Amino acid sequence: MGGLTRALAGWLRHSARLVPAGRRAWVEALWAEAGQVPAGRARLAWQAGGLRLIAREALPARRAAKVLVFAAAAAWVAHEAWPGPAGNPGTAVNRLHVVTLLPVLAGLPLLVRWLFGPAAPGPMARVLRFGAYGAVLALTLAKASVEQIADNPAIASRLNSDASVPVKTGMIYTWLAASLGLLVVGMYVAAVLVATARRPRVAPATLAAGTGTGIVLGAVMYAVFPLGITDHATNPWLHGLPIDLVVLLAWVSLFGGPVLAGVVAARCHRRPGSPEQVATGGIRQAVAAGFLATVVGALMVAVLGTVTVALMARAGWVLHWLYPGQHLTAAVAYNNELTASVRAKYGLILLVFPVIGLLMGVVGGGMALPEVPPGLPPGGGGPPGPPGHPAPAPPGGIRMAAFADGRPVRLPGFAEDSPYGAEPALPRAG
Amino acid sequence: MARAEFSAQTLSVLAVLCAEPREWRHGYGIARDTGLKSGSLYPILIRLADRGLVEARWEEGQPAGRPRRHLYRLTPEGLASAGAALTAARARASGRGGRRVAAGEVRWAD
Repeated sequence: MGGLTRALAGWLRHSARLVPAGRRAWVEALWAEAGQVPAGRARLAWQAGGLRLIAREALPARRAAKVLVFAAAAAWVAHEAWPGPAGNPGTAVNRLHVVTLLPVLAGLPLLVRWLFGPAAPGPMARVLRFGAYGAVLALTLAKASVEQIADNPAIASRLNSDASVPVKTGMIYTWLAASLGLLVVGMYVAAVLVATARRPRVAPATLAAGTGTGIVLGAVMYAVFPLGITDHATNPWLHGLPIDLVVLLAWVSLFGGPVLAGVVAARCHRRPGSPEQVATGGIRQAVAAGFLATVVGALMVAVLGTVTVALMARAGWVLHWLYPGQHLTAAVAYNNELTASVRAKYGLILLVFPVIGLLMGVVGGGMALPEVPPGLPPGGGGPPGPPGHPAPAPPGGIRMAAFADGRPVRLPGFAEDSPYGAEPALPRAG
Repeated sequence: MARAEFSAQTLSVLAVLCAEPREWRHGYGIARDTGLKSGSLYPILIRLADRGLVEARWEEGQPAGRPRRHLYRLTPEGLASAGAALTAARARASGRGGRRVAAGEVRWAD
């Protein structure tokens, strides 16, 4: 007991440095009092209270909760993604993801906080950050599950003996795709963290417009990709229609959604300043909204699509839901989805969508700017008025005085009783 | 029902500090009088100090055989707030049939 209390006392004394400077005196006070507490359990309890105080002051409750939630989720993802045969390329890719992505996810908020400030006030920023982290962790988990199946012939053969699940053999392709995927996912997380940081000053309305549009875009794209990978996939729902309405809606959402988000964000932008400053601010908000819409949409469709593919091999109802009325074997359906979604299209979506979002955001911002009638000279002003009347002729009058020989003189006709005759002493000219 | 301004534990600390408002008290003494553990007492003292209700200072001079103590007492504003809160708590307690509101041994400052 004595050794433990001595150790705790030493730890308390040194760990006071962990607490912000303004709070350090309280920890030191608690440590100073410990000597007065009767030795034994009472002193141990007193010191344990000191540890609680340090934990509380060094790590504020909300941040501690966030750290704990992330640590628990990351540990779960690592636990699920790590297993696999040692010689399997999929296992190596999964382990690469675990050892690189999770530390990146843990460190990025600190880096962004240092460069761009803490999270912006308001619930939207927190919701968006939480959602982005949840999405990336879910994507990692689902991708690990897909890799475990795609690169494991033992599992693939269980799906169906007639149709084979594609097995990736090219190691260069595997590592290139894994590295690119890591880079893209890291950039997505960084983009969300920066957009929701304090210094870039993205308005809450912009975050809301971008996120809302992104969710719609993601839902529509998800309907197209897992259901519309083959040309006939959506036919069970839209049978007999000459055009696939879902695909049409997807194209409209992809280009129209960011424009709409940009218009809403620019219109909601209310900042004092000159018209040029207001316009520039509006454009910035519009670009941010368009970008966010596509980032959210792309992330959502990638996560949902990959989760669907991962579930397909494990849950029979997913197969029936995706291909109603079609008698596809699990392996064939899985092969279709995997080939079309995981190998190329989701990667393409993640890369291309944000570029479209940026461009369409600019368009939306331009549409939201107040219109200026053509033909006006630069510098502004109102439209031309009706033709004016000629200026009236000036009334008759005389000059009161002039200079003659360098001296002031009164001109002829100057009335002596004129109200201007305040200086009668002037001599008459001529 | 409106939420009470102070928790029962905070009221017990205020009551101890109110008993002799001009005296500086140290943390272990307050803990002994209130029955609070250090992990509960110090956050309460920190909150009260943040609100300007309690002032703190280090003991002057180096006492023999022990470290200097951190001392606490109520500010004038703290004294007024504590008096009002304790009176209200006592009224609530008497309104509920004289049940004790504060946890621990609360000694009301009369």
